[in-house]
Amino acid sequence: MNRLKLMIPFLCLCLFGGCSHDMNRREIDEINFIHVLGIDYSEKEYVLTAVYSASQGADAEKTDAGEEKISQGKGATPFEAFQDLKLKNKKTVSIANTGYFLIGDGAARHGIERCIDFLSRDETVKMESLLFVTKDIQAEDFINQSLENEQVIHEDLEAIEQKQHELVTRNDNTLVNILNEIESNMTGILIPYLISENNSFLIQGYAVFDRTALVDYLDAETSSGVNFMKNIVRAYPIHLEDVGLTVTGSECKLSSEIEDTRIKVKVSLDFETAVKEINTDKDIFAGDELDRLTDMQNVYIVDIITKAVNYSVQNKIDILQISRLIQNRYAKKWKDYEENWNEFIPEIQYEIAVNSRITKSFMLND
Amino acid sequence: MDRRINSSYIKELFSKSSDVEVRPIKINQNNMVIHLFCVDGLSDQELFDEAVLKSLKFDPYLAGCKTERQMMDYLLEGGAYHVFTSEESDYDLLIKSVLSGMVALIFDAEGKAVVYDLRKFEKRSIQEPTEENVIKGSKESFIEAMRTNTALIRRKIRSENLVVEKLSVGRLSKTDISLIYIRDIANPDTVNKIRDIINNIDIDNVPTAAFIEEFLIDNKNSIFPQVMYTQRPDRVSANLSDGRVALVVDGIPFVYILPCQLPMLMQSPDDYANHFLIGSALRFIRYLSMVVTLFLPAFYIAASTYQSQMFPVQLSLSIQAAKQNVPFSSAAEVFGLLISFEILIEAGLRLPQAVGTAMSILGGLVVGQAAVEANLISPAVVVIVALAGISGFVMPNQDLSSAVRLTRFILAVLAAVAGFFGLVIGLIVLVTHLCSIDNYGTAYMSPFVDVEERNIKDTIFRFPVRYFKKRPDDIAYINKTKQGEDKDE
Repeated sequence: MNRLKLMIPFLCLCLFGGCSHDMNRREIDEINFIHVLGIDYSEKEYVLTAVYSASQGADAEKTDAGEEKISQGKGATPFEAFQDLKLKNKKTVSIANTGYFLIGDGAARHGIERCIDFLSRDETVKMESLLFVTKDIQAEDFINQSLENEQVIHEDLEAIEQKQHELVTRNDNTLVNILNEIESNMTGILIPYLISENNSFLIQGYAVFDRTALVDYLDAETSSGVNFMKNIVRAYPIHLEDVGLTVTGSECKLSSEIEDTRIKVKVSLDFETAVKEINTDKDIFAGDELDRLTDMQNVYIVDIITKAVNYSVQNKIDILQISRLIQNRYAKKWKDYEENWNEFIPEIQYEIAVNSRITKSFMLND
Repeated sequence: MDRRINSSYIKELFSKSSDVEVRPIKINQNNMVIHLFCVDGLSDQELFDEAVLKSLKFDPYLAGCKTERQMMDYLLEGGAYHVFTSEESDYDLLIKSVLSGMVALIFDAEGKAVVYDLRKFEKRSIQEPTEENVIKGSKESFIEAMRTNTALIRRKIRSENLVVEKLSVGRLSKTDISLIYIRDIANPDTVNKIRDIINNIDIDNVPTAAFIEEFLIDNKNSIFPQVMYTQRPDRVSANLSDGRVALVVDGIPFVYILPCQLPMLMQSPDDYANHFLIGSALRFIRYLSMVVTLFLPAFYIAASTYQSQMFPVQLSLSIQAAKQNVPFSSAAEVFGLLISFEILIEAGLRLPQAVGTAMSILGGLVVGQAAVEANLISPAVVVIVALAGISGFVMPNQDLSSAVRLTRFILAVLAAVAGFFGLVIGLIVLVTHLCSIDNYGTAYMSPFVDVEERNIKDTIFRFPVRYFKKRPDDIAYINKTKQGEDKDE
């Protein structure tokens, strides 16, 4: 009996040892970690452009720490393209540590459903990886241009992510979030788009997807209006005639109501601002002047929100996720709207109420 | 076989032992002869001469005694100037008493002896504890002499309910053991069980502590310590007042405490010498260190060999860069370094302190640095193993530290063969094993597995003393209250 007991751990070790190859046993230095993966679609073919750190190669010591190299794979599907990418690499390729996926204009217009499906089926992928669309350009060209400009792409994207965090409270362009949006199959998906300017990347606004295909790019103000309505604004600059302010906190509540068949949406925005710049000799903290500035900043924000609302109404795309609002409140009635939801979008009546305060001056002598 | 006490037989028995004295003493004018029986070097000769021998020779009453019985009665009633005097008629007990340092006067006609407790032998003075030193607290530690140790405990608990039972173990060594408990607090079942275990130990000799420990534990296959030991009398007194039982073994400079539970082994006297928040922080660091030392090498092997996505991106790139050109697998690196670490520790213990320090520097710094520069091991592995090694020594109990170090190897092997799957299996087996250990009717993992939440107040965090109003339920169920209500509450 004791011998049998001793045999059990031994047999377990043999079993596990024998299975270790099936458990993806691979030493960390035998793997090429893709930092950034570009996904393109052109001429009925997917093109994956992988960005690695050059120091992962065999001649690691000869390369600079920040230097990057790329490799490509092509195929009729994202999976085939990835297999091609694997074949062309000396080492095992992994998207386990890929923090950013760049979707080229072509792939975005073709539809991101298949790409997202492929990525989400990889058991090692980080679901909080961020997705960006490269505006009016293929991801491959975007990456090549950046390398020509001697940019370190993954570091610049990290900087972009940090800038995003300075302006909004959460990143909605994570892989898991986009996957959820696609599965809900009713809201206009928004993914930030990137432009390359002066050897650095910038986010100007959102790329708008109808279902899963790219249809348009929103300008910066309309995108900010969407952020206000999604209640994710952390900071936002307001430029009035004599004063520069920044939003330090905002809370937006959306409520819906159905009267007969007409949908009414009430937008209640409450926000606070801090004075950052004064370009006048007037005492802006005197009662009337402060009221005037408060009214002006209200109008400023209402204009931004109205732009987002107008875009949704005019283009029949639910970028404000009103469908989710209706579905949550009127679960039964929603079925009447569900099939032709896009046709109801222009009929929605919006009522925007904004309330704000200028609370802090940050002036030592005030 | 019962044997009558007889000086001739005893003299014959010890005829080849030069240190045992059996010699006649003539007492009075009746020419009555009794025999002195003692071991040279174990008893206080000056005191014997002054208190006993002087009386035998010059006491006029003794000179007039006509029978041995009269003499014995007089001596037992205080005829000799020594308080610890007793009559012995059992041959075996007499031999044991004398061999433990007492002095006997044998009365052949009566077949009995009068025994004087004049034990005195060379012993260490009471010094500072080497393992459990504290800044704010007592500096006393136990020594090898059992009676000194029991006296140190008695000084801490001046209660009539403190019981010090004398037991003996060892066919040849006849080692004295004191079983100490507080009568109206300790669980009688536990006391009886420990007493029975000690009385049933049938062994020649007790050369080291492990000879007693192995008899005291229920789960003999477990590498985790199930008996707590301490060098500090104050710690023993605290545990006695909680209802636990202490064992003082002659010749061993620490005291065992039973029943033992894992959280006790993570406690240090420092926790109670500081503010409760500082004590809690120290305690938390200790638990954190245990997790680090147990799992860090295994985690590194599993993550760098199987699931590299478990590392943050930048960290995986750093590890990857550091591992370039190293010819060994991550598991081989970790095992190699862990074994080297253990060799260094073992060598450091055997060498004199001055040489040991030099060797640590040579082994740890010089060889380590050279190995990294020669691309034999990656710097990341050096950091991982060093961190795990140092964390292992944060445990206040060395037995626990050793058990954790061995478990660390087992987990690392499992991680090497099956990655996180193996590591999780190891963790499940470890937790199941620890939870299954029963220690004198209490769970080894108590109070983590207790229903009563009040028992948790002295585990990972040390609550203020005012919260320790009750004794642990599973240890002391007779008298549970150990602190009165606060007057200001």
